[in-house]
Amino acid sequence: MIPSDHFTRFYNEVFKFLESQGEAELEAYFLAISKNQEKHILELIQTKGLAGMEEYWSHIKVEENCDMDIDRYDDHIELRMNVCPSLSKVMDNDAEPMGRYCDHCAGWIGPILDKTGYHLVYDVISRTEPRCVMRVFKDAAKAREAEKDVKLLMGWPGHKV
Amino acid sequence: MGEKLRYAEEGEVHLDFHGATNTTIDFIIDRFGVEAMDEIFRKVGRDVYRSIHEDLVAGDTRQLVEHWRHFFTREDCDYDIEIGRDEIVLTVRRCTAWHHVARLVGTPSPHFCDQTIRTNEALAEGSPFAFETTITGPGACRQVIRRR
Repeated sequence: MIPSDHFTRFYNEVFKFLESQGEAELEAYFLAISKNQEKHILELIQTKGLAGMEEYWSHIKVEENCDMDIDRYDDHIELRMNVCPSLSKVMDNDAEPMGRYCDHCAGWIGPILDKTGYHLVYDVISRTEPRCVMRVFKDAAKAREAEKDVKLLMGWPGHKV
Repeated sequence: MGEKLRYAEEGEVHLDFHGATNTTIDFIIDRFGVEAMDEIFRKVGRDVYRSIHEDLVAGDTRQLVEHWRHFFTREDCDYDIEIGRDEIVLTVRRCTAWHHVARLVGTPSPHFCDQTIRTNEALAEGSPFAFETTITGPGACRQVIRRR
């Protein structure tokens, strides 16, 4: 058994292999993981909207031991990951980190939000710092406006930036 | 070296990651074949677990045993470890990972336990030890490490 604690380091090896096979393979994998994640979050978003997102990520904050702040407003939700345990583990690793490890997060979340009519603005800030800011808007225009403030905007399959 | 763990995680446990592992195994094997998946597990065994691998190459099994104790306990597996003079046996009667995936998707990938078999083989590569990993039932296995 690869412990669930070590999934991210396994994930990192998978990313390195897929990157060597080409961008299309990496994107296909993000979509497969996104499909896998639907069972955990899709219904929550479809039935509860931003409150469903808050419920899901509040659970993740605890289970994945995240140092994260979550603020929900009428028109959007904001997650500030102060210390990301996923990238932290990948960097604290005897194997080489994949340079674009952070891309997977928007890679699976973005397609789910596209399906539910929400608009993701994912600021990775830096791929070598374990922190990021994710905002999800009900309104596309507000999301586009928010994109102007980011340091490193992340895209996802079907949504290039 | 020895009993000190290179990666000793604490806090909560997110078992849904095992579901993502299952999805990953099916994805890689469907698109690239089982050999590609085996090679990724080999890199996990040699590179991610370099510290345990290097201990085994040096003839020291203590970190491996501590790794088993730490993570099989964290995941609330039903297991025991028997340390004999010539071999060490890890008996897993109920693997939390396998059963969690079974709850999530019904039937885990037929290659789900390759993560254990292939990673074990890589850990022991170039060492004086050999692994014998036997799947003894759904979510159950016996892992034996002994000198070659």
